[in-house]
Amino acid sequence: MKRNTLVLGIVLFILAIFAWAGWANWEYRRQAAERLAASAPHGVFILGSTGSAPQFLSPLTGKPAPNFTLEDLNGKKLTLADYKGKAVLINFWATWCAPCKIETPWLIELRNQYSEQGFEVLGISTEGDDLQKDDKASWAKDKTAIAKFVQEMKIPYPVLIDGDSLSKSYGGLDEMPISFFVNRMGTVVAVQMGLTSKADIEANIRKALD
Amino acid sequence: MTKLNMKIGITITMAFGLVALLAQAQTDTPNRSVSKPAAVAYLFPEQVTLTAGKSSPVALHFRIAQGLHINSHTPRQFELIPTAFSIPDGSGVRLEAAIYPAGSDFTMPIDPKTKLSVFTGEFTIQTRMVTEAGNHLVEAKLRYQACDNTACMPPKTITVPIDVIGK
Repeated sequence: MKRNTLVLGIVLFILAIFAWAGWANWEYRRQAAERLAASAPHGVFILGSTGSAPQFLSPLTGKPAPNFTLEDLNGKKLTLADYKGKAVLINFWATWCAPCKIETPWLIELRNQYSEQGFEVLGISTEGDDLQKDDKASWAKDKTAIAKFVQEMKIPYPVLIDGDSLSKSYGGLDEMPISFFVNRMGTVVAVQMGLTSKADIEANIRKALD
Repeated sequence: MTKLNMKIGITITMAFGLVALLAQAQTDTPNRSVSKPAAVAYLFPEQVTLTAGKSSPVALHFRIAQGLHINSHTPRQFELIPTAFSIPDGSGVRLEAAIYPAGSDFTMPIDPKTKLSVFTGEFTIQTRMVTEAGNHLVEAKLRYQACDNTACMPPKTITVPIDVIGK
């Protein structure tokens, strides 16, 4: 009788340990998921006012644009802080991005139209996050493709490379094109993800110039 | 009912309860969709048996997420990233040939004059492989670059796991 009770007790104890292990595993995965969600800045689309397109609301909207220093195609370094006092459109694009190529002529026209009011565009090429850092041949091929595009489109504004290095500070750069509209004080006033229209871009430029 | 039977009954009931709790904790997924699903998923086959040393056909099936397209193997503009399948060296299996389906024409609503060559939905790559004798768990690769109607995602390489048995 005593032995049976002992055996039953041991069985229950072992099963309790299994149950605890299962709960602990679930709790660990839940906390890991919460940490992951908290660390990744999320952008969401919100409905625009009546008749207007949905706006992309980035966690950077209303915050200072993260500063950066990148090189242009000639190796010259350029810093965002150098543009304080001007409204800036930071446009992340890639040579393999067909929608990016459609909006580039609009950016050129709008840049020429508003430059005298203190507006500039910074084009940042973001060629892909699956290229290995030591894959010199692929990076060289990308640089050639970027230079070819800049020449063909006659892009008058600075075009910088290695936009992938800004991925974390600018919210992930999961899709392109993505444009950050920065006002004269260095605050992000609007973020546009994906191809919309020249009118939408112009509206955001005016917001940055206000 | 004897006291012992009662105890056994209670123990079994509690055991089932604990097992049910354990099973629920293991199957519940609190972190569903924290990360974005891949644009392209490999469907099948998971395992193939081929004659060792002989070139054999293997059809590989993939599915592209709804609303997205990927460039075909022969995009119309040179800077666009083509879809390409490969098998790494040293896996015991050699890719002799990969025949891709023809791409479909795709135009963006905002730019109807530019035609892209893309894959959408499900597509199949017809390959010919030569395997050494034995069991080889091959981590083949598929590189692609996906877009929707207004935006593009960076190029991505996914692993295509195939268990190749050479007899």
